Amino acid sequence: MSALQTFVVLLFGTLGVLTLSAGLRGTAPKRVVAAALLLWAFGGVAAVWPHTVTDLAHQLGVGRGADLLLYMTTLSLAVACSYMYARFRRVERQLTLLVRRLAMDAASERGPIVRSSMPSDPIRHSDAGPRLLT
Amino acid sequence: MQGLSSQTESRLGERLSTPMRPVALDQARVFIVVAAFNEAASIGDLVRDLMEQYVHVVVVDDGSSDETAELAAEAGACVLTHLINRGQGAALQTGIAYALSRAADYIVTLDVDGQYDVKDIALLLTPISDGRVHATLGCRAPSEHDKPSLGLRLRRVLYAFSKLGSRLGLPPAVPDAHNGLCAFSRHAAQMIDLKLDRMSHGSEIVQQVLAGGLKMQEVPVRVRVSDYALRKGQRSSAALRVAFRYIMARFTR
Repeated sequence: MSALQTFVVLLFGTLGVLTLSAGLRGTAPKRVVAAALLLWAFGGVAAVWPHTVTDLAHQLGVGRGADLLLYMTTLSLAVACSYMYARFRRVERQLTLLVRRLAMDAASERGPIVRSSMPSDPIRHSDAGPRLLT
Repeated sequence: MQGLSSQTESRLGERLSTPMRPVALDQARVFIVVAAFNEAASIGDLVRDLMEQYVHVVVVDDGSSDETAELAAEAGACVLTHLINRGQGAALQTGIAYALSRAADYIVTLDVDGQYDVKDIALLLTPISDGRVHATLGCRAPSEHDKPSLGLRLRRVLYAFSKLGSRLGLPPAVPDAHNGLCAFSRHAAQMIDLKLDRMSHGSEIVQQVLAGGLKMQEVPVRVRVSDYALRKGQRSSAALRVAFRYIMARFTR
């Protein structure tokens, strides 16, 4: 094995151990752990036996192994991006709910606005309106 | 525009399944919700205009760094403050939630850029208080001075496509869902839970109101395009961004 191959195998090996321990501790979803492990394993195999990737590329009709690697990298990048985007949106949403809650709490601490035209019977109007039939 | 709105209404009418009862329009039950982000230049005048006719004006200060909150409060509005900027959709949702918690029967949302005549708000409330619809949407009534710009023509083409889409089961096309002036009955407002914090909330409002089986109508309103609005305004390309966020949000729920 060349020095570069050794480095790549060590790198993917470390990543694999880290991923596995995260999976066992339950800090990452099982699907993500499985996908990541598969990816590291593939990377290791590709580094040590480059011809396997070429063979696989021929089987799939892609041509060169390097092309197959490029396609797979692009694909996994897209998947990772969409995963991050969904997560980002979730966090944004939670942040908004938090900010809204703070605004509402601050407003109710000030108490209701007292105006002569405020309703005398708030209960009558607090019903949910016509019920949904569908 | 008139033709479009009647068509939308009839399409929406098929989905109507909730009985409606007329509620007498009591000004004290109308809550005006304004989302404001760094609008110190115009918020004071807008609130004063609104307060002349309505009792409850709720301004949601969306993390402004200028005097927006102070000026709105000075003018008599009830001010809610987002500690950090969360976008117009988020701010409107906060205002709507607050109005509902204060037993509002009608909720009107509007943009700050001062493009509407405050008197037109009554036009949006009438169909709701008459019990004909649950929600109304202001749509820009074209004036004779308008020259069809490239952006407008593009939007017309897109609208034709979206009409096709609504035949295929997508939500019905609403030509001007993002114009910023909407009115809701209490019941319709309870249906709304805006999850798109930024600018895509117009489509989301329409979709949620209709998904609740409620009836919605478009009301032509006059729009004054002030210099201020033009300076602050959006480009037509913003529509693509809005569409992208809306579509992504529906897939990444």
